Amino acid sequence: MPKFLHTADWQMGRAFTRFETEDGAALVEARFEAIEKLAQLANEHQCDAVLVAGDVFDAQTVSDRTIRRVFNATKGFTGPWVMLPGNHDAALAESVWTRAQRLGAVPGNVHLALQPGVINLEPQHLSVLCAPLTQRHTYGDLTEPFTGYESPEGYLRIGLAHGSVQGLLPEEIDSTNPIAPDRAEASRLDYLALGDWHGTKQINERTWYSGTPEPERFRNNEAGNALIVEVSGAGAPPTVTPLQTGRYQWHQWRESLAVQSDLEQLLERLDALPESAVVDLRLEGSITLAGEETLLKALSVAEAKFRSLRCERSGLQLAPTDEDIAALKADGYVGEVVESLRERQGEAQDDTARDALAILAGLLREREQEAGQ
Amino acid sequence: MKLQRMRVEQLRQFRKPFVLDNLQPGLNLIHGPNESGKSTLVRAIRAAFFERYRSTAIDDLRPWGDSAAAPTIELDFEHENRSWRLTKSFLQRKRCDLAVGTETYSEDDAEEKLAELLGYQYPKRGASKAEHWGIPGLLWVEQGTGQDIEQAIEHAGDHLKSALNSMVGEVASSGGDDLIETVRSQRDTLLTGTGKPRGDYLQLEKDRARYEAEIEELKERVHKYQEQVDRLGKLAHDYDQTEAERPWEEAQRQLEEARTRYQQVERLEQQQAQEKATLSQLQRNQGLLQQNREHLAGLSRQLEERKAQLERAERDLSLAQAQTPAVTGRLTEARTAYEQAEKQRKLAGLLQTRERLKQDVRRLEQHKQVLTQNLAKAKEYHQQLEQARQQARENRIDSALVKRLRATGSQLNEETIRSRTIATRLSWQLDAGASLTLNNESLTGQGEQQLLEESALVIPGVGTLGITPGGEELASTRRKLKALEQNLEEQLKALGVTSVEQAEDRLSAYDSAERTLKHAEELFKSVAPAGLEQLVSEQSEAEIELENVRKQLEATPTPDPKQNVPALEQAETAFTQAGTALDKTESDERAHQSRLSALTQARDSAQTEWQRLADEEKSPERLQQLQQISTELANIEKQQAELEASLERREREIREARPDFLKQDIERYQNAANHLRQTQENRGRELRDIRVRLEAWGAEGLEEQLNEKEAELDQCNRRYQELHRRAEALDLLLTLLTEKRQALTRRLQAPLQKHFNHYLSVLFPEASLEVDEQLRPGTFSRGNELGQITELSFGAREQMGLISRLAYADLLREAGRPTLVILDDTLVHSDSERLEDMKRILFDAASRHQILLFTCHPGNWNDLGVPPIDLQSLKVNAVAQA
Repeated sequence: MPKFLHTADWQMGRAFTRFETEDGAALVEARFEAIEKLAQLANEHQCDAVLVAGDVFDAQTVSDRTIRRVFNATKGFTGPWVMLPGNHDAALAESVWTRAQRLGAVPGNVHLALQPGVINLEPQHLSVLCAPLTQRHTYGDLTEPFTGYESPEGYLRIGLAHGSVQGLLPEEIDSTNPIAPDRAEASRLDYLALGDWHGTKQINERTWYSGTPEPERFRNNEAGNALIVEVSGAGAPPTVTPLQTGRYQWHQWRESLAVQSDLEQLLERLDALPESAVVDLRLEGSITLAGEETLLKALSVAEAKFRSLRCERSGLQLAPTDEDIAALKADGYVGEVVESLRERQGEAQDDTARDALAILAGLLREREQEAGQ
Repeated sequence: MKLQRMRVEQLRQFRKPFVLDNLQPGLNLIHGPNESGKSTLVRAIRAAFFERYRSTAIDDLRPWGDSAAAPTIELDFEHENRSWRLTKSFLQRKRCDLAVGTETYSEDDAEEKLAELLGYQYPKRGASKAEHWGIPGLLWVEQGTGQDIEQAIEHAGDHLKSALNSMVGEVASSGGDDLIETVRSQRDTLLTGTGKPRGDYLQLEKDRARYEAEIEELKERVHKYQEQVDRLGKLAHDYDQTEAERPWEEAQRQLEEARTRYQQVERLEQQQAQEKATLSQLQRNQGLLQQNREHLAGLSRQLEERKAQLERAERDLSLAQAQTPAVTGRLTEARTAYEQAEKQRKLAGLLQTRERLKQDVRRLEQHKQVLTQNLAKAKEYHQQLEQARQQARENRIDSALVKRLRATGSQLNEETIRSRTIATRLSWQLDAGASLTLNNESLTGQGEQQLLEESALVIPGVGTLGITPGGEELASTRRKLKALEQNLEEQLKALGVTSVEQAEDRLSAYDSAERTLKHAEELFKSVAPAGLEQLVSEQSEAEIELENVRKQLEATPTPDPKQNVPALEQAETAFTQAGTALDKTESDERAHQSRLSALTQARDSAQTEWQRLADEEKSPERLQQLQQISTELANIEKQQAELEASLERREREIREARPDFLKQDIERYQNAANHLRQTQENRGRELRDIRVRLEAWGAEGLEEQLNEKEAELDQCNRRYQELHRRAEALDLLLTLLTEKRQALTRRLQAPLQKHFNHYLSVLFPEASLEVDEQLRPGTFSRGNELGQITELSFGAREQMGLISRLAYADLLREAGRPTLVILDDTLVHSDSERLEDMKRILFDAASRHQILLFTCHPGNWNDLGVPPIDLQSLKVNAVAQA
């Protein structure tokens, strides 16, 4: 019973902004590990082939090292791999693929679908109907010729394409590289393996986006999976099993703090996250000076714990209470300055005033601590 | 704070202990003359507070020349109802002790306690200076500095503010100034004074720009790379398509076709050229034949012409021949005339010769005659000449000798005469025949003789008479006579004459003969200049010549006198004319002869020509030729017509084929094929180039680099934003803190102003003085006057200064701070009226503060209402007590 692994959007060669250098490097590394993981899963589930539905590479001009490492990472699975050029790595006259071939980096068991057409994997009895992008963007449906492609008798017809299924995906209604939603049916496909959408997504019974195997953005869309597809025979409905492959989970939280308990809740949730989390916090609302002190301590702990933690607090106003100010012993004109800053922060949403207040509070706190010692 | 007692020892002029006590809580007037120790006491108070006890920079306290001194000051004062005693020793014994009530402090603790109490600071090292004096610097006025209020207030600065804290209560901040300093130092690590980034912040800004530039460059390169990839795609597509279509082959085929067609046209053109050549040959042939035919046809016409020519020649000839006799006649005539003229000329010549010969004969005969006459004369003259010569020869005498002789003769005569005069004259008259002999000389008759010498006169018969002449000169005269006679004798002898007269005669005869000779010679020469012989030969020559001429004459025929012989010239002219006429006639005759022969020849050749033509015209070959030529011409015309038709046909064919277009087509197809091929080759080359380039660029991993750089920029940017926000926040914080603190200062203004006004109203009832934000007396106004304190007169400034200090003292007192006012010889520049006011002010102030007023003019202050303390007497007392 033919079985294969469907994956896509590896985006190799991508560098991560918004992260500390060290974290960025770890995230890049995780993507290579994800390929190894795919190979391992393909072996574990005794897959006949691995189909990669586009965007193996994030760009045409990635370093030679990256190219070699990508193909090296596939070594764990010695069965056939079919790699499809996507919009990031389209099969142009000169492409990352031609370079890979020149470098001699492509192992024999990796088939590069650089031209539209059918790749027949004979021992596996699979006909892979490929619709590679040969330009950066196309506005016609590249899968249309699938209907005309013949496949040997008894072979499964598996479509491999990269683009946006029209009318189904949000935000990308008018996007390039369109794919007809009924392609699988129209072209008599047993399964249509799609790439481009980074989350795992089923379009219909026979059409799936596998998503990227390792998340690379915060948008929560079920990224970090691969699909094991099993088809009992030609025409039979496929059995699709998503498997988690991602190492890091990306969390982006936008929280608004108002009262003390909000902060406590947030810290509890944060504490509950696994260490492999990549966290992006955006806090709004207001916080007392005491609350901020608590928050800063907790963030400091979390930074050490998680793969990456970033917290954007510019939207979080400082609201010193009378107790805060009393605790800071901000008497006389310093007290007036604190008050003035608080007002400015509130009235004009003045970040500078907020920062100034934070700095002042910090300095006063320090002074108190020194005095206390 | 009330100072009660002070004691000094070993301090400047106070070597011995000196005590100033009984100081009053209010005004204290301490006076003494210069150098009585006023200033030393003031200095002592300052030293006790300001100078570190362990300071070594206070040598001025030491009594002069006492190195072992330990200047000591002891101060007792009361503050906040407690007794304070400060004991401070310097230099040799460094100590500081402070007793406050029951508490005691020593050394640094004591000093810090004092500094805190009064509000000043110690110098880090060395002697205390104005900037350290703080509040006391404001209240303790040194001699001559009363007016310098601004500086003192500035130095008091922070001390003042903290001292006044209690007044402004809650608005002052504990540690606020430190906080400001912290904020300022943190801000200054990020921003410059003018708010420009510095340090890390600046570096980040630069890094950011650098990253942006690098990213821009990378993007540019990626863009180029992509362009090249696109170009490659298009090129590869074009190349493959072209390679499949091979459009140059079509062009090549068309080229071949055009070439073939052009070759056909070329062949046609060749044929055309050949036929044209043939045609022109035919035309040339035709021309020749026509020429021949015309030639043959023209023979009869020529014959007639020749005939006419012949006739013309014959006519001309006969005409000429007819003229011949006339020509010949004219020649004969001319010849005859010529001969006649020649004869005439000869005759005339002969006649002339004869005439000449006759003349010659006459001339020669005349000549001969002259010669003959001359010869006769010459002979005669010659004879005369010979005679004269003979004469001359015979009478030759030397004229010079004759002259001498004559002279000698005359001299002798003169002497003789003289002698006679002196000589004894003997005269005689003898009877006839009686004779006497005198000196042997017989004397007869009558005579006389002069006797010069002794003479003997013999009278015959008688005897002899001697006579001796007398006279003295007689002897010399006799001698002279004798000499002269002798001389004359000799000369005569030499001349061969006997007397002078003879000599004279001979000379005259000689002269005459000479003259005759000359005359005869001249005559002779006139007739025979060349001599006689020459003359003779001339005569004979003339005779011979004459003979010759006569012979010639005889030989010359005598013309016939009857004949009319013209003159020779005439005959010559006639002869010449006859010659010319003859020449002309002869040449006419020759011309006639040659014309005749030419005409004859012309006639002959015309005859021949005519004959030949006449013969030819009649020949049968000619007729045959004519026949043949006509036939050939007809043939040629036919061929020509055919050829022309063919040529025209082919011409059209060629024209329709458009060889010029064909040529262009060939070029066009050729170019097209080349271009197509070239384009494809270029494409291939560019493909290779781009591939190579892209391989190189691709290996750089541009986009991955770009990603990484963007990540770096992002980080840099984030860090920059952090610093930026921090800098802005710090800046804001600092601004706010500074502002608030200034606002606080401003709050102190009001009470201070109140105190200012209090004093000012005494001094200038109408004036006002504004205290500025720095708590300094600022704008002063009085009536219409408006200005700064510093613009006032020195005296007024001093007064204002004092007022300000007192106002501060009031303010400090209100804040519960110690106030001790020390004035060292102040207000010396005030006039008496103003001083009066100031005294009122001081008196008023003294009700709140202790004031120590040191002066050397006690008279100025004796109405101050307090007992003055005389320093001088105190010192004396002290010594006395000691």
